[in-house]
Amino acid sequence: MEYILTVMVLIGINVVLATSFNLILGYGGLMSVAHPIFYAIGAYCSGLLAIHLQIPVPLSILIGAGIAMVLSFGVSLPSLRVSGDYLVIASIGFQLGILHVINNLDFTGAAGGLTNIPVLNEGPSRSLVFVLLIAVVAACAVLLVAWIVEGDYGRAITAMRNDEEAFSALGRNAMNIKIVLFAIGSGMAGLAGALYAHYFAYVTPEQFGIFTSAALLTMVVVGGAATTWGPLVGAVLLTTLPQAITFLGLPVSIMAPLQGVIYTTLVIFFLFARPQGLTGGSRGGGGLEAWSASAAFRARRDAE
Amino acid sequence: MSAIVRVENLHKSFGGIVVADDVNLSFETGEIVGLIGPNGAGKTSLFNLISGVIPPDAGSIFLEDHRVDQLPMHHRARIGLARTWQNTRMFHSMSVIDNLLIATRRYPGESLARILFRRRALDAFRQEATEKAVALLERVGLADKMHEMAIELSYGQQKRIGLARTLMSDAACLLLDEPMAGVEGQAYETIIRVIREEAQAGRAVCVVEHNISFIRDISDRTVFMFNGCVLASGSVEELTRDSQLTDLYFGGEHPQ
Repeated sequence: MEYILTVMVLIGINVVLATSFNLILGYGGLMSVAHPIFYAIGAYCSGLLAIHLQIPVPLSILIGAGIAMVLSFGVSLPSLRVSGDYLVIASIGFQLGILHVINNLDFTGAAGGLTNIPVLNEGPSRSLVFVLLIAVVAACAVLLVAWIVEGDYGRAITAMRNDEEAFSALGRNAMNIKIVLFAIGSGMAGLAGALYAHYFAYVTPEQFGIFTSAALLTMVVVGGAATTWGPLVGAVLLTTLPQAITFLGLPVSIMAPLQGVIYTTLVIFFLFARPQGLTGGSRGGGGLEAWSASAAFRARRDAE
Repeated sequence: MSAIVRVENLHKSFGGIVVADDVNLSFETGEIVGLIGPNGAGKTSLFNLISGVIPPDAGSIFLEDHRVDQLPMHHRARIGLARTWQNTRMFHSMSVIDNLLIATRRYPGESLARILFRRRALDAFRQEATEKAVALLERVGLADKMHEMAIELSYGQQKRIGLARTLMSDAACLLLDEPMAGVEGQAYETIIRVIREEAQAGRAVCVVEHNISFIRDISDRTVFMFNGCVLASGSVEELTRDSQLTDLYFGGEHPQ
């Protein structure tokens, strides 16, 4: 039972992460893969504040999310100058740089990780209460993103993603939108990280590396980029799938690389065969359109 | 007449390729200027310089006496520069009407705070902007396509939507890049009528076009560009009478 509840907590956290990543990548078309670093910033900041300054856990969680939001400028400001593939590289640099710092500071626990983080709630039904909390948070995340991308603001986001230059030439300020999308998306990732830290009481730097970027990317692509329910479907599938594989009883030497192989295979398969993901309609793919094989085909056809 | 856009001593080069070589030009209130010249003459580059897609190396650009050459593109658009693009550049995952709504001068959907706290003002805006967009689509003869995806319409229809889109912002200056490409028949007359009406309303219009008979039909003054230079200015008749210019136009890329 405890195991199932723990998996459900992970699903909830991944729903928040994938949904917020989708806001930036899918809807915004902003090719940043640094999303896990804001997850890390939320987790570490909240954990450290609670450990060293004895700040009450609920407050430290909010502060952690706030810090992640503010530090999102680290990616949103470069995105004003570079876009597309260049932003991918800039964001990887940002992610690995901060991770390197965390890995080498004593007070963050360095490579060994941050331990003895105070938990948010205790008691016999602690996991159940936490599952309910994370479910509410995940629902709010999905609804918040759905609200942001509908109506007048959503129209502006879509237009910016479609053609930033034409968008600017119509008098629209793309800079503001990028900063807001990164701030909200990264703040949500920070919140997810802080919640994670105060449930598992332990975080390590390796949880927030490129592998996590790939996992989140897979969730968004498989579920459906720039759709409301896609990241949710993707997060549920790709959290339970690796758990299910562990029951096959394969040796660790096969298990460990297997996850990475599954993720990359899924991303490539979906970008080629179904860029709109499992839940997307006939036209979809959002910000990932540019990467998808069908878009390449369309561009070739239109050029002829 | 007073100048709406004034370009002074404008220079721009990319490596060895000069796209603007000491360009001096002005577009006056109510005037339709035709901009012609062979491919690579710098016509679209001039539009890119004026609208802010690329920064100039030297020189200045004024919009109604405000110096704009250092302003970002969106800022120039807000104070009165509107342009279309050679390859239409529709927002491809959006409907025709949404393409137009984005272009309103003060688009409230840019700020989440305003969406949260100024709901009533937003509703009023939306109604007003939608009415304006529908009226413009009627003027270019595409009101029935309002809810279709812009990208699914023909090239000529997209050109007309691009024109309507620039008119959403009541800009003082319209820069139209090949508005007639792919446009035929009835639509041809429609575009000529709309451009004339906008000029009569006091806007300055500059049109880049390869279709010389269209330039003859519509422009008050024609400017001939070659290798980034403004070589001549006058009526189409005056320009075509100059055999040197016609040689450059038709054989400019392989001078004998």
